[in-house]
Amino acid sequence: MGGKQNLWTRLYRVLASVRTGIILLIAVGVVAAAGTVILQRPLTDPADLQRAYSPQTLLWLDRLGLTDVYHTWWFALLMGVLGVTILCASIDRFPKAWRLLSRPYRRPEPHFRAVLPIQKQIPVPSASAGLMAAERVFRRAGLHPRRVVENDEVSLFAERNRFAVLSVYVVHLSLLLILTGGIVDAFLGYKGFLMLTKGQQTSQLELSNGVMQRLPFTLRCDGAGQENYPDGTPKKWWSDLTVLENGRQVLKKQIVVNDPLVTHGVRFYQSSYGYTGDVDTLTLAAAKPGAASQDVRLRPHRPVQLDADASVTLVDFRPDAVMSDGQVVSRSRSLENPAIQLRVASQSSGKSATFWFFPAMQRVAAAADSPYTFQFRDIQMAAFTGLQVSHEPGQWAVWAGCLLMGLGLASAFYCVHQRYWAVVVEDAKRGPVLWIGTAADKNREHFQERFAEMAEQIGRDIAAEGASRSATARSLASV
Amino acid sequence: MSSRARVEQQAIPSGGAGLLVAVGLGVAFLLFMAFLNVVRGGNLFTEANLLYVALIFYAGASALYIGFGVTGIERYVRFASLATGIGFLANTLAVGHRWYMAGRPPFANIYEMLLSFVWAVALLTLVAERKYGVKVIGTVTMPLAVTGVILMQLLPSGVRPLVPALQSTWLQIHVTLAMLAYAACALSFALAMMFLIQDQMKTETFLAATSGLVTAIYAGAMIRFERWGGLSVAAWDAQNKEEIFLQKGVRLFVTIPDLGWLFLLVLLAAAAPLVIYFWAKWRKREGFLLAANRAVFVSIALQVIALAAFVLRTHNAAYPSLDADGLFPTSLAASPFILSGLITGIFASLLYLMLFWRRADLQRLLPSADNLDRLTYKTIGIGFPLLTLMIAAGAYWANRTWGSYWSWDPKETWAAITWLVYAGYLHMRITRGWRGRRAAYFAILGFAVVMFTFFGVTYLLPGLHAYA
Repeated sequence: MGGKQNLWTRLYRVLASVRTGIILLIAVGVVAAAGTVILQRPLTDPADLQRAYSPQTLLWLDRLGLTDVYHTWWFALLMGVLGVTILCASIDRFPKAWRLLSRPYRRPEPHFRAVLPIQKQIPVPSASAGLMAAERVFRRAGLHPRRVVENDEVSLFAERNRFAVLSVYVVHLSLLLILTGGIVDAFLGYKGFLMLTKGQQTSQLELSNGVMQRLPFTLRCDGAGQENYPDGTPKKWWSDLTVLENGRQVLKKQIVVNDPLVTHGVRFYQSSYGYTGDVDTLTLAAAKPGAASQDVRLRPHRPVQLDADASVTLVDFRPDAVMSDGQVVSRSRSLENPAIQLRVASQSSGKSATFWFFPAMQRVAAAADSPYTFQFRDIQMAAFTGLQVSHEPGQWAVWAGCLLMGLGLASAFYCVHQRYWAVVVEDAKRGPVLWIGTAADKNREHFQERFAEMAEQIGRDIAAEGASRSATARSLASV
Repeated sequence: MSSRARVEQQAIPSGGAGLLVAVGLGVAFLLFMAFLNVVRGGNLFTEANLLYVALIFYAGASALYIGFGVTGIERYVRFASLATGIGFLANTLAVGHRWYMAGRPPFANIYEMLLSFVWAVALLTLVAERKYGVKVIGTVTMPLAVTGVILMQLLPSGVRPLVPALQSTWLQIHVTLAMLAYAACALSFALAMMFLIQDQMKTETFLAATSGLVTAIYAGAMIRFERWGGLSVAAWDAQNKEEIFLQKGVRLFVTIPDLGWLFLLVLLAAAAPLVIYFWAKWRKREGFLLAANRAVFVSIALQVIALAAFVLRTHNAAYPSLDADGLFPTSLAASPFILSGLITGIFASLLYLMLFWRRADLQRLLPSADNLDRLTYKTIGIGFPLLTLMIAAGAYWANRTWGSYWSWDPKETWAAITWLVYAGYLHMRITRGWRGRRAAYFAILGFAVVMFTFFGVTYLLPGLHAYA
């Protein structure tokens, strides 16, 4: 029984010591640094990894988890133990701070007076004169001295920024809050990427780890666009998004980079914008001898009536293709040499003709068995909007922690807990002596100077009092 | 010690006035030339003109501060302070002008960062002099400011509109906090170094440290050493004022022949004092300091030659590349890190020489070791909360832009490591009572990590932070 207690106590002592904390801090730092120097799998192409490391090296790096340090169990354990040491160290030292906070030491007893580093003794004509002078000087310094009465002895006590004793605990608590938020997000949060074209809607998304996540709502993209600066670089990407629940529209927002859509705790960020390589709308001018040319707007696979008899359909589209051995071969995904495959059908004859049209090379295309000719007018490419999706339930703990830490640090560095005591003691040789002392938890030199000034002021006050009293006595006597 | 100082002051009264007159004339002459140019050009209050005025006065202040550092004549400091103040005014006008023209604070690219940095350095010099009485800090900070302004002339200065991810108030907040935090850390570094001087750290230790630093800088530059003695630098497109890329994320490097051999020579020369130091320690030979210092002179001379050679050969020339056929242009602007490294090396070596020649005077002029120790702590007490807020603001901005407040991006991670190092300093100091030497070493380590976070990550480890 005694041995087991000893073990727990010893463990607690080790966890609560600052040295352990520092060692863990260094360990976290070294591991984190290693993760920036060794290529990490989440951020690097597998091909780059194989190029950078020999197969043997890569095998060992993977085995030890060094290719994804920040998500290994032992890194999480390290952070967890760091959190535990912070907790233990705080619990260990907190009672003392709480005592200072809840039961301030108001009356300066003899043993305390003997050991306090910053103190002064000033001879005074009487106890009341001394105390009043001290009270005046304390008040002038902006303090609020209180009289403490015990066993016929009156002493003064003034204190400032008592809350400051808690600042270091607030800082460490905020750190624990942030770590907790991070852990919650690691387990309950998710991230993914979504690509939507205009009109497309979805209620599930692919997460960064490959899992499909069902959403409790449907997201529809009503439109997306990109604005450029005059020199061509992107200025703004925007998307019009609608959130639907059971077919009913609940939320509609236009999002841009830096301004996400938030719904059901899930955030959709405007991340990118691009072209799928498919066509959205193709505009051609169709002409038939003896009739005026008409503009037809074609969408893939949707036939458009040219007149009572003929219709034209956009069958296939390649943004960049060439004719090779009688076949149309795609070259790239960018709009360079587009190839359009059209089918013109005649209702009356039941026949249809399909042909390829290269607008960059031919001005006019003609269909076999049809009086119609076609000219290129305009094309709208299909665009997709890229959305980053994230669900981070723990972020509120993180932001609260950051705010708290800001306050805690400001208080820890700039709010000084100051205490002042004054009491008159009877000295056998000198008569009544005013003892004043002060304690400040930081910036001692500055407070030592201030204290010396206050002591001087008290001395002058007492001398002035004495002088005026003797002057009054003299004037009374002369009367 | 004080009698020696008095003798010096008696011996060089005319010399004192001499430097003042020389600097005054130089400043007046340069201003006059600038004014002529302006009269011909038309516009008086352009950003470039204001920066030029700032440069002139900073250079004058540098000369006077260095003169003060070398001779100990206090009169120089007053005029140097005045020159710094006027330069700072011009610098502030330049910053304001840029802010007005761009419609946002100047933090969006490296040109603007340097502009803000130089402004902050001048401000800190004035504050350190007035508030803390550290008069000699100008010898370090003003040449740094001059270097910064000269570097700025090499960089593209057009006001570029921001890409979507950078259009946010939180960016301004994050970067402002970063600049302030790094400035506070830089100040704590300077104070820690001054503490070591006052704490009677041996001059030979400074010799070893300076030599080690310069060796490390040249070793870093030698990463780009090619087999046949050439040095690789990034190719630069003068028209668009940007680097040339082979494909996305892959820079084109050109090889400057023979520059590699020169750098290797300088590396050996820079390492020589360090080698002599260790050899003397091993053999326990005193009096080697003279030999080591002669080696430092040689190393400085060679460093200046290396700098000149580098500047001359990279300044708008074309060289072959190992990655592609043909000759490709390069420019000084393509190698800001090598250039900063070379200048830092010369600068550090000169500072060491100043310490070697004038240690007694420096120790007389600097505050006491105790004061410096406390000042270092106070400065870190300002820097640490700023670092914390900077990281928090960065996380918030990242969350709004990319949906993730922490993605273990190298720059984020190194900012956190910097934070951990300074947290370590505070713990060791407050809880374990570390003062004096050990605290100073810790502060210097902290600043080294800050420098790596600021420069090393951008240069060596690319990532999301690839904007600056």
